[in-house]
Amino acid sequence: MKEHLKEIFDYRDMVNSLVRRDLRGKYKGSVLGFLWTFINPLCQMIVYTIVFSVIIRSELEQFYVYMITGMVPWLFFDMALRQGSCCVRYQGELVKKIYFPREVLPLACVTSNCINMLFCFLIVFLVIMISSVGVRLEALLWLPLVMGIEYLLTLGFTLLVSAGTVYLKDLEHIVSVILMAWIYLTPIMYPVSMIPETILWIFRLNPMTAVIEAYHAVLYWKISPDSSALFYAFLFGVVLLAVSEAVFVKLSDNFAEEL
Amino acid sequence: MEKECVIDVEHVKKQFKVYADKGAMLKERVLSASRSKYEVREILRDITFQVPRGQAVGLIGKNGCGKSTMLKMMTKILKPNAGRILVRGRVSSLIELGAGFHPDMSGRENIYINATIFGLKREEIDRRIPEIIRFSELEEFIDNPVRTYSSGMYMRLAFAVAINVNADILLIDEILAVGDAGFQKKCFQRLREIKEQGTTIVIVSHSIEQMYGICDRLIWIEGGRIRDDGLPKPVAMHYLDFIEDERLKKLNAESHRLFQATGRHSILELTEKVHPDARRDGSQEVYFTGISLLDNQNKSCQSFDTGDRVILKLAYKTNLIHPQVNFNMDFVKENWQYCYGCCFAKAGDELPVLDESGEVALVIDALMLLPGKYYLDVGINGPAGELYDSVRNIMQITVREYVHDEFGPCTFTHYWQR
Repeated sequence: MKEHLKEIFDYRDMVNSLVRRDLRGKYKGSVLGFLWTFINPLCQMIVYTIVFSVIIRSELEQFYVYMITGMVPWLFFDMALRQGSCCVRYQGELVKKIYFPREVLPLACVTSNCINMLFCFLIVFLVIMISSVGVRLEALLWLPLVMGIEYLLTLGFTLLVSAGTVYLKDLEHIVSVILMAWIYLTPIMYPVSMIPETILWIFRLNPMTAVIEAYHAVLYWKISPDSSALFYAFLFGVVLLAVSEAVFVKLSDNFAEEL
Repeated sequence: MEKECVIDVEHVKKQFKVYADKGAMLKERVLSASRSKYEVREILRDITFQVPRGQAVGLIGKNGCGKSTMLKMMTKILKPNAGRILVRGRVSSLIELGAGFHPDMSGRENIYINATIFGLKREEIDRRIPEIIRFSELEEFIDNPVRTYSSGMYMRLAFAVAINVNADILLIDEILAVGDAGFQKKCFQRLREIKEQGTTIVIVSHSIEQMYGICDRLIWIEGGRIRDDGLPKPVAMHYLDFIEDERLKKLNAESHRLFQATGRHSILELTEKVHPDARRDGSQEVYFTGISLLDNQNKSCQSFDTGDRVILKLAYKTNLIHPQVNFNMDFVKENWQYCYGCCFAKAGDELPVLDESGEVALVIDALMLLPGKYYLDVGINGPAGELYDSVRNIMQITVREYVHDEFGPCTFTHYWQR
């Protein structure tokens, strides 16, 4: 196992160049090019804001800030998992013909989406500045840690589904359905206080609740996040990653034959 | 002293499950437990060999014999079902060219992508990139997007990266057939250099000629086992004869079907080894009853080397009483180029007088045909040139091809002076 991890580390440059290829190749040929990275979350924010502040009437002040500070991190998780579910399958030719630690593919997928999120944070901060919400440095210091924990969780889930999809194509669609429900089981478009007491435990079990709540705390409420909840998410991430990697190693033996 | 062994393959077995139709959809998995309907195809049954450091080994065998599978197991892409494979040192496999190329990115960027997939570090690529670009001969185009490249340029770039990945062990699968002849030559030159640096090489190829240029040893895989293993020349001979035999067997079966279907049984009676192109003609007043080609051990044979002793035996029968006839034979190359012919007696000579039945033999002390495939024609003529029997293309003979320095249909006894 130790050797295997070292090997993955040795292939970090491959992760690196796949991420570059992904980021640079994504918008090549489109007129607006890289701007789409910003336009996407911005439009989502606008749509959701219209729905939630005009139609449903959220009580939160400056709802659009609340919205975008939760949505951008969620989009990272969502996109990484969607793309990740088929990242091994779509690179079948590569997997069948060349040896490299297979973990490189989900790693590159998650990393590229994470970097995409970092770019989107330019928009997030722009929105925060333009609104009167502003930032508080002490709270902001938590941000890298929160992002780190989200990366851990995302990688854990992505590893699992990317290996699973090789054996069961449906998993790609199942993941997409689950994600659709999951976004509502995570307090992104409403505050935790709106959740009825009776079903709160479901939200508490969901590790993404802690992560999104932490983003909200740091960027919207400008306070330190709930460290025990965050620790739960971290622990969840570590265990998940360990399990996923074990499963991935087991399943990856037959990737070349299944593809 | 025994050289250190860098590749150790022990009793390796590999089988694939071949599903009737591959149901990777959930519905199919759940609904039909009958997905268990598959056929286990044993590709490799029991393979054992060792490769010492610095040796260049070629794996040969028919399509689907498992040589590529063997290579993939050495690179760890596939896992053997049983047995053990130990590979010591850094492995680089040239199985897929241009892996990960992105059409919209420049040649230079793609070199980085491609080379990191082969496991190179960025710094190593930085060091090698001038050499890679020089080798690809794409200096002017290297910063253009790869989609603007011709397919030849694309392959050249891909090959340049692959061949410049330095490793202790190089595994190559059927990729040497890229680019124009000049570039191919360059690739071989480079491969030889790599070999001289002490890199262990394992090549899979159909081209025996390519193998000769590089390999110190050939391993022939047949039916999931090693059929032969040793120096290139004897193994290749053994293998090529086997392939040729298989081909001729197929031809024979075809001939039998064809001639039986068209009612031309008379050709089938002449020899077991009849070629489907065979045509028979003549009055049949004197006719052949058997035609055989023998090697110098008097064994029936269709594959020879240039310079071999060959005996052509012709059996005949006749209804005429003591006819005078002339026998003739000739060799025609596959492309219908007439190569050689001879008669029993030349004009003005006394013709042989035949009994009711008998046999004549033509003994060729040294077959001077150069490598290729040749048709044999035989005929019987009367004193006034009347055609009694003529069989064209009755069988094909193969003069084996190895490395050659002579061209055309035939060889001369010769030497060069300087």
